[in-house]
Amino acid sequence: MEFEQAYRLTQILTSLAFIQQSLEHIRRYRNEIIIFSLRIIFSLILLSGSYTGFSLIALFIIALLMLTRFQGPYNGGADRMSLLVLSCLCLVQILPDRYWQEVAFGYLALQLVLSYSIAGWVKLINPEWRSGQALSDVFEFSVYPVSESLRRLSGFHHLLVIFSWLVILFELLFPFSLLFQQSLIVALTCAAIFHFSNACFFGLNRFLWIWIAAFPSILWLQDRLVQHL
Amino acid sequence: MLRIFKLLLPAIIPSWRFFDVIAASPRIQYVLLNKQSENLSEWQEYTARLRQLDSITILKRLFWNPHWNEYLFLVSCAERIIANLNLSTDIIDNHHSETEILKRICRALFSHKNSFDEEDMYLQFRLLMVNRDNTQNPAEVVFYSSAKSLTELQCQNGI
Repeated sequence: MEFEQAYRLTQILTSLAFIQQSLEHIRRYRNEIIIFSLRIIFSLILLSGSYTGFSLIALFIIALLMLTRFQGPYNGGADRMSLLVLSCLCLVQILPDRYWQEVAFGYLALQLVLSYSIAGWVKLINPEWRSGQALSDVFEFSVYPVSESLRRLSGFHHLLVIFSWLVILFELLFPFSLLFQQSLIVALTCAAIFHFSNACFFGLNRFLWIWIAAFPSILWLQDRLVQHL
Repeated sequence: MLRIFKLLLPAIIPSWRFFDVIAASPRIQYVLLNKQSENLSEWQEYTARLRQLDSITILKRLFWNPHWNEYLFLVSCAERIIANLNLSTDIIDNHHSETEILKRICRALFSHKNSFDEEDMYLQFRLLMVNRDNTQNPAEVVFYSSAKSLTELQCQNGI
């Protein structure tokens, strides 16, 4: 994937993810209406492809206001990823030199790889993850299961062991998928299924959209690395 | 400025340690009080979790999930309060988290009301920790909020 193509696709997917996130806010609270309405407006401008630099800077300022408003991310990792994607898009926009633009966009791709590999590593070194106990705990007493009926899954020990190892292996092996474009596409499809299931089981819908928004960066980086080698 | 930088830094250089340890998990319980601090109701759990969800609702929630995401935000606020309990240095952050929880519970309970019959009604919440050993009877109360009047929280017309 070409740099311009990947960069523009990231802009489009990010703006759609931001619109989805913001719509969830504006019907809720009066003093959140202004900030999230502005976020939707600038996301729409970004989506249209005109004034991209201006809208990215405006979205970054809004992101800082959101951080202050909620004294941190509203939605944990999803908001942090949103801010990371946005920061990298802004840097590409303001950096004058193509080399540094590629470094900034490559940083997003690198963080995407790390988001899987580090998460896989910390699970691998935890005996409770290896035995399936950690996933059982997630279903049994964590706040994440979206319904009480899902808590029953904590009793399916063998199934949870299998799923724990599938998650660990997928996350750890993700960096190796960069060797070939086909393997990367398979890995990203698995990643999308992984985020989709997290959204279904744990209600983490924002993770799904913002992680997918970062996928073009890794498709570009893989292409760039293969060309370089 | 330094505060914003501190908040921004974990996003620019993330740790990505998702679910590394499944620690005890907070539950938020609330109670309505009168002016004399007498309970007007039993302590009740505040949660957005339903008993059962059908597949259509789950799919819809991929695009529209405000209640659940707000609930996760309140859990984050609860975790911030608990993390600050032993520090007692970040009073501002505790105040923010406490107010966010109170206001959002208040709105969830009374958003349909235009006015309160009982002007002297107060809302308080407490935090309990649930772990593998006490899923049915979470006993350990780790935090009680201050009681705030519903009028002060202005929950009738949004926050």
